[in-house]
Amino acid sequence: MDDFMRRALVLASEALAAQEVPVGCVFTFNGNIVAESRNSVNITHNPTRHAEINCIDIILRYCKNNQINYHTYFENIVVYVTVEPCIMCAAALNNLNIKEVIYGCANDRFGGKTVLDVNTFYDKGYKLTGNVLADEAMSLLKQFYKGANPNAPESKVKKNK
Amino acid sequence: MSVSSVLFSAGTRSEMDLELEPPLKKQRTINTYLPDIDIWIDKIKSSDQNLSPVVSDEFNAPIKLGKVYVGYIKNVQDISKAVMTLNEKIPLKELQHLKRVKRQNIILCPITSLNSETIQEYIEKNVGELKDIFDYFQVLEVPFTAPRVTKQYQETKKYWPCNFHPNHYWEKLVRNSFFTDHELVIHRTYMEVVMEIVKWHSNYLQIKLSDDGLQDINASIVVDPDINSIVTIAFDHRQIHPLQHTAMIAIDNVARTQNGGVWDNNISDELMIHLKEKFAINFGVRDSNKNSKEGPYLCTGYNLYILREPCHMCSMALVHARTKRIFFCIENQEKGALKSTVKLQTISSLNHHFEVFTGFL
Repeated sequence: MDDFMRRALVLASEALAAQEVPVGCVFTFNGNIVAESRNSVNITHNPTRHAEINCIDIILRYCKNNQINYHTYFENIVVYVTVEPCIMCAAALNNLNIKEVIYGCANDRFGGKTVLDVNTFYDKGYKLTGNVLADEAMSLLKQFYKGANPNAPESKVKKNK
Repeated sequence: MSVSSVLFSAGTRSEMDLELEPPLKKQRTINTYLPDIDIWIDKIKSSDQNLSPVVSDEFNAPIKLGKVYVGYIKNVQDISKAVMTLNEKIPLKELQHLKRVKRQNIILCPITSLNSETIQEYIEKNVGELKDIFDYFQVLEVPFTAPRVTKQYQETKKYWPCNFHPNHYWEKLVRNSFFTDHELVIHRTYMEVVMEIVKWHSNYLQIKLSDDGLQDINASIVVDPDINSIVTIAFDHRQIHPLQHTAMIAIDNVARTQNGGVWDNNISDELMIHLKEKFAINFGVRDSNKNSKEGPYLCTGYNLYILREPCHMCSMALVHARTKRIFFCIENQEKGALKSTVKLQTISSLNHHFEVFTGFL
């Protein structure tokens, strides 16, 4: 479990180096990594390009190219992500009937469990476990938010943080 | 060969057609597959109803009552001293919206503040200096929630005087006269464009638009209201790609106007020509030269018009995109996240809050 999360943390650091919100994610199938990605919101100008969404796209492409039924494939996927999936990603993972999600630190701004428990809107819901290498994940986020998001417009209100 | 062309050519002509002279031009017959949509379009165009903002439940919630001890002050000269002393020694805390005094009656405390003692004993213990000024005590029901809008204030006043400062924006939200007639024409026209996109695709794909058939159909447009122009359009593609709901595609299409974007562009040129011919509306993004070096950022300042209430994924994506306003036509009872199952726009911890309007039909 820790090995997969460590890999996700490496991806998150890569995001930080690329001036993206440092979140990394790996998708595993039968104990093997089948997709890995990180946040790419700023480079794509698309605020939905979270690590999980990028991984979903990778799997969809793989399934299409290999004529695999993605419905059954996703049902066997276990997701490791450094930060609790946001409401959008939690809904996307639910839509795909993902088997299980393991995350690092909680996300008290957008969290798909902490802010709004998305699983309750879906029949099945996935197994969710948090607090795996949470400190490492949080420290990356802190490093990022110390510097400003280069793409965000100037804030109207000066923040005290 | 695209999926749409496969589906289209699947509707083959019969032998009878071939005998007709001259051969009929193969055309998409309007209305054949659209039992409802033209009725809807008429309704959207002809309705004189204002659009309704989807607001937090607290604006419409009935007032909550709770019990407090009230003391009747014997001499009016003692009132101001009593107010000052009580506010200092036993402040009302969660009931700050209540005025302390109503004529010679003064609120002492919620009944839950007392343990086993009587109210006289409670007063003697906490504000001894006031122990002799009361004629009698009684338990009264007073509003325990602060009124947010005038409608609620009128109700609370019947029980006890309240502090209330109307918030003009909130008043406008609940009054059901949010938009001017001129604005309504604009919003309704944009929703008509959304309907036209659905109609065009359903003809193309030959999807029957019955109530169930509509389940997985959705279309949207993104509008820059400052220049009254359609920035992009998007049609639901979830049958092929489970994430490509119309709002997700719309956000990616907007990203493409900002030199970003990830997914393939699947806006049909033919559809764009059709829309431009049918509607006297501008298309495209604002001239970025005029806006110094900073172009639009994500969907900041943009409005989204969408047929069906977006799901949790799409609604949150629209929060991330910082969309200004969302207009939707049909509620999504099972998965809608702006009205039906939850109102994402009212969750205070999120970093962006858009306005949501519906009531087109």
